Amino acid sequence: MQPVVHFDNVTKYYGRTIAVDGLDLAIQPGKFVTLLGPSGCGKSTTLRMLGGFETPNSGKIMLAGKDVTRLPPNKRDVNIVFQDYALFPHMDVARNIAFGLELKGHDSASIHRRVLELLDLVQLQAYAKRMPSELSGGQRQRVALMRALAPDPQVLLLDEPLSALDAKLRQQMQGELKSIQEKTGKTFLFVTHDQDEALTMSDQIVIMNKGKVEQIGDPKSLYASPSSVFVASFIGDANLLQGTVTGVGDRATALNWNGTSIQASAEGHVVKQGDKVCIVLRPESIRCAAAASGLPNSMPGKIRHRVFRGNHTSLTVEVAQGSQLNALVHPAEAGALSGEDIFVGWEPSSATIIPEQIAAA
Amino acid sequence: MRSLFSDIPRTALTMCYWAFLLYLLVPLILMMAMSFKDANYVAFPIGEWTLGWYAEVVQDKQFLDACLYSIMIAAAATLASTILGVWIAMLISVEGIRGQVVIFALACLPAVVPGMISAISLRIFISTIDLPTGTAAIILGHTVHSVPFVVVMALTRLRSMPSNLVDAARDLGADSVVAFFRVTLPYLGPAIMGGMIFCVLLSIDDFVRTFFLGGYRLTLPMLIFAKVQGGMSPEINAMATIVLLVTAAVGLYAEYLTRRSRTR
Repeated sequence: MQPVVHFDNVTKYYGRTIAVDGLDLAIQPGKFVTLLGPSGCGKSTTLRMLGGFETPNSGKIMLAGKDVTRLPPNKRDVNIVFQDYALFPHMDVARNIAFGLELKGHDSASIHRRVLELLDLVQLQAYAKRMPSELSGGQRQRVALMRALAPDPQVLLLDEPLSALDAKLRQQMQGELKSIQEKTGKTFLFVTHDQDEALTMSDQIVIMNKGKVEQIGDPKSLYASPSSVFVASFIGDANLLQGTVTGVGDRATALNWNGTSIQASAEGHVVKQGDKVCIVLRPESIRCAAAASGLPNSMPGKIRHRVFRGNHTSLTVEVAQGSQLNALVHPAEAGALSGEDIFVGWEPSSATIIPEQIAAA
Repeated sequence: MRSLFSDIPRTALTMCYWAFLLYLLVPLILMMAMSFKDANYVAFPIGEWTLGWYAEVVQDKQFLDACLYSIMIAAAATLASTILGVWIAMLISVEGIRGQVVIFALACLPAVVPGMISAISLRIFISTIDLPTGTAAIILGHTVHSVPFVVVMALTRLRSMPSNLVDAARDLGADSVVAFFRVTLPYLGPAIMGGMIFCVLLSIDDFVRTFFLGGYRLTLPMLIFAKVQGGMSPEINAMATIVLLVTAAVGLYAEYLTRRSRTR
């Protein structure tokens, strides 16, 4: 399928600092795609370049097969939901939503129909005549979303739209955004620094770091097999172990971690004996038991720290002199681990190896 | 003892304020009271009261003509200074424009140049370019004087405007002109309204510039001045009372508008 958006070697500088560095990115139509990264990684600049508010220093941006690199925002078939909504304070809800339609030259009957249809989509029919100052944060958010959707853009751009909402409302809006995306079948390009938002809503996540794409994938594969230490530590929590390869097998690779032998999965990376690697081990992959459980990688350890978090308990376990692991334990199991001495273990397939040269980058 | 000490400064403050208020209001009240005196000279006691002077004033062709002329000049000067003032405010608010401070300082200069100096220089200027004294010259003079007030009010409002409102309009298909008229200008509305009323008041009240730039037709302040030269009469008091009440009402309304624009 032809991508709806294609960034072709796009670079953007602000003075001497590079914001986006040779970005190549294709976005498939009808998908919920998230640009995820820490602040300053270039994700917002990427979005603003697609919106037409920044011009790249080099490279090309294609929208639906058309070169839009140098077009002003009003000539592009994309609409933005701004971080602080940017609703027009002197217009009521209906007129805010109608704004883009009026400028496209639709007749008033069809505008009226479309506005009602959109208000219906977010259950705000009763608020058509309210002014933005009379709405709650969540309602403003919905109006901003409908205003941007109204002109039926090729791609809807969302610039951290949930960051101004409180935690409860944010969760509710995540579900709502996703269901609106599914109902309308629009391509959503969502920018956030919040990994939870990215994981819950996206079909595809583009992880950015220092102006470059670090890894692209669906939430599950990014979480299960991060291709770099940056991705592993940015998405979810991870134990990062430094080790040396001691043997390469069919299903598992043997390693030496601070004198302890362990096994992990190479996941497509080619490693050979003697390679220094980084092993990513998720806290929830580690099993803890009072007795040696027969798991591979089973080893004795001492609980050094115990934090109760309601739906789980977080343990810091010292497995050898100076080697510590973080593990999550279900409340039901936490009771059995009352003593200091326990055993930990994990399936080799749940520990991912990242070769050192990638880990260092 | 302690409460006595802490009360003294406060009593002093209050008394100073009342003294000021007395000094401010007594002349005005006297002037207004005299306009009801049933005699053709100004002196105490008032004796007989009458509304006769008001009847005379509203039928006075000279007075009505001066009112009309003043309003006309005020309208023209206000229109010109509003357009200029908003224009300059927009220019200053552009991010990263060079010499922002200088542009602002120059735009505000007419507000601080002494009226006398400004009037004389304008007079010399119009005779240099062969513009006759009269309506056009007065309007020019008043416009220059009012622009800074519009600039300051519009700029204050512009600075409180979220920058992505214009971005949002552009994003939804507006070019920069449409974005200005449909988003920026309505947002500036209350500030522009307040600024315009300020311009009207400044223009109606102006004496020095009008005196130097005016022709034979008299504006309201010039007419009152001319009448005073011919001797005080309660008719002047009646005129002044009318002007005072109307301008005070308009001024208070302008203050209300700017207050609202600041809080909204």
